[in-house]
Amino acid sequence: MLNLGDTIAMSVKGLVQHRLRTLLSTLGIIFGVAAVISMMSVGEGARRAAIAQIKLLGTNNIRIRELPLAGKELEKAGPRYGRGLTHDDASLLRQGIPVRSVTFAPLKISAADVRHGGRQGGANVIGTSPEYAAITDFRVAAGRFLSPLDLADNKTVCVLGAEIKEELFGRGDAIDAELRIGDGWYTVVGVMEPKQLYQGKTPILKLRNINRDVYVPINTALWRFPAGRDPFAINEIAIRVADERNILDVVRLAREVLDRQHRGVGDYEIIIPEELLAQARETQRLFNMVIGAIAGISLVVGGIGIMNIMLANVSERTREIGVRRAIGARQKDIMLQFLIETVLVCLAGGVIGILLGFAMGGLISLYAKWETAFSLAGVLAAFGTAAAVGIVFGLFPARRAARLDPVQALRL
Amino acid sequence: MLIETGDLRMVYQVGATPVHALTGVAITVDHGEFVVITGASGSGKSTLLNLLGCLERPSGGWYRLEGKQVEALDDDQLSRFRNQKIGFVFQTFNLIPQYNVVENVELPLIYRGVEKGARRARSLKILEQVGLGDKIEHRPSELSGGEAQRVAIARALAVEPVLLLADEPTGNLDSRTGTGIMELFSDLNRQGATVILVTHSQEVAGYGRRTIEMRDGRIIHDSATGENQRC
Repeated sequence: MLNLGDTIAMSVKGLVQHRLRTLLSTLGIIFGVAAVISMMSVGEGARRAAIAQIKLLGTNNIRIRELPLAGKELEKAGPRYGRGLTHDDASLLRQGIPVRSVTFAPLKISAADVRHGGRQGGANVIGTSPEYAAITDFRVAAGRFLSPLDLADNKTVCVLGAEIKEELFGRGDAIDAELRIGDGWYTVVGVMEPKQLYQGKTPILKLRNINRDVYVPINTALWRFPAGRDPFAINEIAIRVADERNILDVVRLAREVLDRQHRGVGDYEIIIPEELLAQARETQRLFNMVIGAIAGISLVVGGIGIMNIMLANVSERTREIGVRRAIGARQKDIMLQFLIETVLVCLAGGVIGILLGFAMGGLISLYAKWETAFSLAGVLAAFGTAAAVGIVFGLFPARRAARLDPVQALRL
Repeated sequence: MLIETGDLRMVYQVGATPVHALTGVAITVDHGEFVVITGASGSGKSTLLNLLGCLERPSGGWYRLEGKQVEALDDDQLSRFRNQKIGFVFQTFNLIPQYNVVENVELPLIYRGVEKGARRARSLKILEQVGLGDKIEHRPSELSGGEAQRVAIARALAVEPVLLLADEPTGNLDSRTGTGIMELFSDLNRQGATVILVTHSQEVAGYGRRTIEMRDGRIIHDSATGENQRC
């Protein structure tokens, strides 16, 4: 009996006979697959960037951020309210949320220059409490993070982010060094580990460069960096909920406490990374569905093009089919030969399409500076679909070839 | 007896009208014969050749090849039977254009499932035998008509058929080349091959050791029996 290897060899011979025609017939598949692969790489890149950003906030975390009011809203709120977040809010939340294992840290963020010796650099000065390191999973590389004692005594100590430390001290030791932040002198007690940042073009959240953070005790920051509008104004409250099932309860309680305190003025927002993550996933799912639909259409169109060519191929090779039948090919041998020809055309189109898609994805990240990433699943899906298109659209021409009456085929 | 048929009939449906291509043919052919079937076009000689070659099943009557009841075989069995028993030679050579000479000769052996080394060796030997040992890598388009027909004969011989069938094998060749091809058939017959050949050329018919003349779908003269079946 005829073996599969010989059949495939036959099919390849059948194809190379009309190289140009074969190539043209695969264009539909090529561009369909290339479009899908490149779009998926953009989508996958965006998804990874989003997840990385959200993870940086911590998925078990809640962030409460000030939301500055403007114009009419500010007028409506009146002078006493609409002040944004204050240090009092943080204390009230701490008392008002009786859920276990919830940690709070206020954040007061100011921009300031940091100077040491002849060097200086711009930094985000973050007034916060010792809990902040635990909430964000940030770790010190040397020394220690802020302590409760630093807070209680309004000490002028600071912990440097990896990048700012590098700028001021190079590879040297920074611990116990004295440096100037704004107008005051501070003692360095710790240096943070560097954190990997994703700075794609499609950020879900605006994140500051945390490697340029300089952490000081919150009370020190309130005193040394007055914001003008309110001496106790802070920018953010970070909350970590140990058990993620409690997140929504904590959010509800936090909202109650703050609304009471702020008289219902919406001058803050609550950000739940977990929810953002879900949103990102949902967006991704929609994106994938749209891509899938485009891919489906282009592959069907491509498949019809290939079927057309294969039908022409079969009628052109009627005599060959007659000869093959006369010398002993069974219907299924003919069928398999032409089916494999179609599948090979589609697979070749799929491979070229995947490579083209990679190239397009590469160009997109090169020129548009978008994150792109290639998923193996996408490549496998493209390949599998190309093969499936070959089988589906190859079946009809192959059947037509196999059903030819040998006597009729030879007479032509 | 190699071939025995009785009351062999073939009816084609052309539109609404049935065309009786064969109207009852009884014929026996023994091993080693060289039979030439002649007759005008439309006399049914090609139809008879197709039936004897197991390319299709008769509409009526019976046909035994080496004792096997051919009309009872299904399409797959017919294909295998052709592959094992029969070698075809056509008027238009019918070589496969994308294959070179030796690949064309190997083709029936591929369908038989003969392993690569063995089929290549056998094909080369046969090509040597028909005088084309130096053209094995040529494409059919690079061959002369006579060479192409020799390749076709080699392809027919590759499976060591019990029956070699040829339909106007010299019809597309000039007379000198045609003579060469007919001498090849004669040689093969002398070496033991059973040959049945269809032609309307008297010159070609002269090579046969037995001639059968057909008209209107039946045999009107068979030189073996000497009887005239004219009615």
